[in-house]
Amino acid sequence: MPPYKIPKRVKFRKEMRRVRDRNATKGNYVAFGDYGLQALEGCWLPSNVIESGRVTCQHFLKRQGKIFIRVFPDKPISKKPIETRMGKGKADVDYWAARVRAGTMLFELAGVPEEDAKQALARVAMKMPVRCRFVGRRVQV
Amino acid sequence: MTMTNETPLLHAQPRERIGSRYAQRVRRAGGLPGVIYGHGLDPVSVTFDAKDTITHIHKGEKVFRVAIEGATGEPETVLLRDIQFDHLGTNVIHADFSRVDLTERVHVRAHIHLVGQSACPGLKTAGAMLMHPASEIELDVQVSNIPDEIEVDISGMQVGDVLHARDVKLPLPTMKLLSDPEAVVAHIVEAKAEAESGEESEVGSGAAEPEVITEKKEAKED
Repeated sequence: MPPYKIPKRVKFRKEMRRVRDRNATKGNYVAFGDYGLQALEGCWLPSNVIESGRVTCQHFLKRQGKIFIRVFPDKPISKKPIETRMGKGKADVDYWAARVRAGTMLFELAGVPEEDAKQALARVAMKMPVRCRFVGRRVQV
Repeated sequence: MTMTNETPLLHAQPRERIGSRYAQRVRRAGGLPGVIYGHGLDPVSVTFDAKDTITHIHKGEKVFRVAIEGATGEPETVLLRDIQFDHLGTNVIHADFSRVDLTERVHVRAHIHLVGQSACPGLKTAGAMLMHPASEIELDVQVSNIPDEIEVDISGMQVGDVLHARDVKLPLPTMKLLSDPEAVVAHIVEAKAEAESGEESEVGSGAAEPEVITEKKEAKED
């Protein structure tokens, strides 16, 4: 299995599905970098997709700048094998995912010009299973 | 540093019905819900003209005069304390103002604008990168002297140099720094070292399955 990020310790092996069509009330602004990639829809973002986004960004920027990954895959998603009858308890964990709500900041970039950041995050957005947009820092009071 | 010379005047209507449903109706009608509080008086829920108010906020205005419809006397001088955004951070949905006197001292956060990046020798080095973890500092300042932003010159910085909050030259001697003096305002780092260490940590974190805490407890009990 490729070295995707998963939690080190969990309280329970499996988790209920829960509601996912909500808007983000936290983690929805650029906090650490200068520019960010914001999800406009909710989803469960698998750990391999987060990793592919990071690799794409780093590859395009040729290791310039700093990437901040604002989501962590801490939700176990279970899936029954194909051609299996229903029942017999909850299936095994298939992959780990991050809970992404509309507005969640997925990636942030620092130390690169705006044009480079735009191009890099546009490539990352293509890898994402949801619509995303490029954002800068908010107006501060 | 730039300072506002003229205090903008905002017109407001008192809001009789408060709550999220009524606030939504106000927004749909082109208004911006807000609240004015402070100086030992009762808080007043008001509605501003959204377009006018948000234009001033985006310009960086912080001190306003508010004329409330039906109120007697001079317009009140208020300070913008907080703004709330929608879930995407696109629209301003609420604004908090506190009553102030122009001679009063208040605690405000001032945005730091880094200048001189093109002349900075440290940034001309291959792989060098400018980091600015603290993009604003908290100040104790008189209301009439609130800065829109504080310009910090980084043209003399080399690779590895760190600029702390205590090193920021405040525009007026009456201004006092309230933020942590050790807070890093600007830091020039070598990007290559950052990226390599980042990749190593990614590879090292891959485990097949996480440890389940509750299972461990059960095993001990048995």
